[in-house]
Amino acid sequence: MSEVKEGVILKMTGITKRFPGTLALDKIQLTCERGKVHILLGENGAGKSTLVKIISGVYRRDEGTIWYDGQEVNFRDVRETMDAGISMIHQELNLLPDRTIAQNIYLGHEPMKPGQPGVVDYKKMVQDSKNLMGSLGLDMNPNTLVKKLSIAQMQMVEVVKALSKEVKLVIMDEPTSSLTNREITKLFQIVEKLKRDGVAIIYISHRMDEIKRIGDQVTVMRDGQYIDTVSAKDVELPDLISMMVGRKIEKMYERNHCQPGEVIFETHDLTGYRFRNVNIKVRAGEIVSLSGLIGAGRTEVAKAVFGREPIEKGSFTLFGQEHKKITPTKAIKCSLGYLSEDRKTEGLVLQMPIKSNLVLASLKKTFKGGILNARVEDRIGKKYVEELRIATPSASKLAGELSGGNQQKVVIGEWLETGCKFLIIDEPTRGIDVGAKSEIYKLLDKLVNEGYGILMISSELNEVIGISDRVYVMKDGEVTGELDRDELEQEKIMEFAVGGKGGTE
Amino acid sequence: MSEIGKKIKGLNVPGILIGDILLVVFFSIMNENFFTSYNLMLILRNSCTLLLTSMGLTLVILMGKNDISVGSVVSMTAVIVAVLINKGLLVPLVLLIALAMGAAIGTINGILVAKLNFDYWVVAFSSMSIFAGLALVTTDGVTVSIKSDVLDYIGNGKILGLYVIIWIVILLTLLMIFIQNNTKFGYDVYSIGGSENVAKVSGVKVVKVRILVYMLSGLFASIAGIAIACMTNSGSPSVGTDYSFNAMAAVVIGGTSFAGGKGGIQGTVLGTLLLRILASGLSLMGIAATWQKAIIGLVIVSLIVIDVLNENRKNIKGLRRVYRNVA
Repeated sequence: MSEVKEGVILKMTGITKRFPGTLALDKIQLTCERGKVHILLGENGAGKSTLVKIISGVYRRDEGTIWYDGQEVNFRDVRETMDAGISMIHQELNLLPDRTIAQNIYLGHEPMKPGQPGVVDYKKMVQDSKNLMGSLGLDMNPNTLVKKLSIAQMQMVEVVKALSKEVKLVIMDEPTSSLTNREITKLFQIVEKLKRDGVAIIYISHRMDEIKRIGDQVTVMRDGQYIDTVSAKDVELPDLISMMVGRKIEKMYERNHCQPGEVIFETHDLTGYRFRNVNIKVRAGEIVSLSGLIGAGRTEVAKAVFGREPIEKGSFTLFGQEHKKITPTKAIKCSLGYLSEDRKTEGLVLQMPIKSNLVLASLKKTFKGGILNARVEDRIGKKYVEELRIATPSASKLAGELSGGNQQKVVIGEWLETGCKFLIIDEPTRGIDVGAKSEIYKLLDKLVNEGYGILMISSELNEVIGISDRVYVMKDGEVTGELDRDELEQEKIMEFAVGGKGGTE
Repeated sequence: MSEIGKKIKGLNVPGILIGDILLVVFFSIMNENFFTSYNLMLILRNSCTLLLTSMGLTLVILMGKNDISVGSVVSMTAVIVAVLINKGLLVPLVLLIALAMGAAIGTINGILVAKLNFDYWVVAFSSMSIFAGLALVTTDGVTVSIKSDVLDYIGNGKILGLYVIIWIVILLTLLMIFIQNNTKFGYDVYSIGGSENVAKVSGVKVVKVRILVYMLSGLFASIAGIAIACMTNSGSPSVGTDYSFNAMAAVVIGGTSFAGGKGGIQGTVLGTLLLRILASGLSLMGIAATWQKAIIGLVIVSLIVIDVLNENRKNIKGLRRVYRNVA
């Protein structure tokens, strides 16, 4: 490892990154020291991942300067940052399931047989893997195929892979999200060892308890902006949370809360892939939010209720009818509508006209006998363009030509046309600009006032607080809290979502 | 599990080896002429050109793409060899031109797919059509016979009781298996096929490797074309027509997944043998060639069904494991 064990290794100033339509990073600064753990903290979408991807060479910055290891640098791709001693442990697994542990660890920088260019020395690879894993306190056979490992073991292989070359800076993007306690302890031992060796670590995490446990400094980001850098030892967790979320709620959320009607949707110990024992209910006339961090299992609940993923245990009641098993077709028949978070690929056919999209989920109902009728389609198109105020000169325009907000309205119209009375909307305003967001909120408000029930999944706290009647918070597949409209505060939701203090009931 | 069973599993040889053996046993029982040195030699000899074609294709499929233009390259090369030899060119020069042409076609396909991001099916179909057509144009659609002692020796001569061409194919196969299993290039092919994204973030030069693989595919198709010209002493513009399909069949039967990253040339060798054993056995039993095609299709479908069922079972297990982990 490197000779120098102290001092600044990475200094970034004025880092700006734009994506079409958004300013992802706005003049961010970050300084990392050798032998220190620097924690990057922020809500989903705060720009942490974008920032580390700029460091690791996946993205290129638009503005700003980076000094690394004593000089100003301008990395062009992953290869260059790897050669410079920067290594990244990705949040998602970057492994090849059909290759062995050793082959995965040395993927991209396999050791060669001396004197035989291009010929891989597998024996050395296995031996080196064994030594490396041994030095990190791991005991796995390097010849095992990765697909035979548990997710936690895979994550550890990912860690070993990142450390299999000479590193000076390691970036860890939520490395503990799929680890068990035992492996987390092991990972932290590895982190300690790296610190002793003078390696700098950038650590992204949502878990508050980890900050005090391994962090030296904490940099908080919010909405692509730099908020502050503080010492992990001195800072109080509540202060960090308010730094993460501390915005004023803007005037974009206007609700006419109505008296909720009867319960139309209720789950009973619903358990499935990545969530368990979920008990939630939605009444007619209510917007209920399912809040929590990405990966907490919210979308999985929605998919199970809509029949896209199996229910393993428990059941749910929809308009008085109990379901233990369901398919999307049956769900639609039972007046359930599901708006996927990925509306461009799962919600709309972009190259089809608006009016055709509107009838897509209700072809059977709209067209008796299976024969399309252009006049009926035109009428429906016109109706929703007016009712939902879709900004287009004509319902015959292609859905792909609409803005994000108007596309979302088309998807909503598509589900209303099926006659559904209960909507599950996943990330209703993702990728929609601020002006159009309030339009969507107004529309949702109008719907519940007409007696619809809405279950909204959202990662945007402002939106959850702004328009919900009630909020359930999920963490690691379980519902950890329920909050009523008058108790809604960002700090409270975050505490339930990250389990900062007494998160679980 | 027995020691041998463990060894076989360790070698990662697909169940196809057992299929090969079962077929040999079956046909040996059904027809006394099957298990004779003459017939076995014939099967090996008939496997040569198909194996050459499917070897390069294996790497293409291994990295998650496909190249059905190989059959046309086979025809094209056979025809070019015949025409050039008849023009009086020296044999080494003719072979060099033929190999260069195969490699060049492969490289162009590779650049279109890897660098310019064309859909690989579109590239493969166009290329297949172009060279099938050019092969016909070159000889006006007729078969051209070749008179060359050197080529005849390569195709029909024997060393130590084995045809020269069989020796050549054995050597090339061993070389390719070595490249596939032991070189950085081979590793990169598996990585890219396993996941292009993972390969990229791990610093693998994806575009370069892709082009190289396509080049090899074209090169091996042209070696197959030369071999056919040598063995039949002629160049026919339609000789490669069935090769694209059969080569793909050999690769898939051999256990290389269309999804990429899984399988290899060792399986393709067994897959090729299976196809040729099947053809030989069925012919000896008096079943018409037309029926053989249908039967081969059935074999492929059943193998894929078994494969899919296996995968599904594994996936369900995998999901359970993920879930337990979260819980």
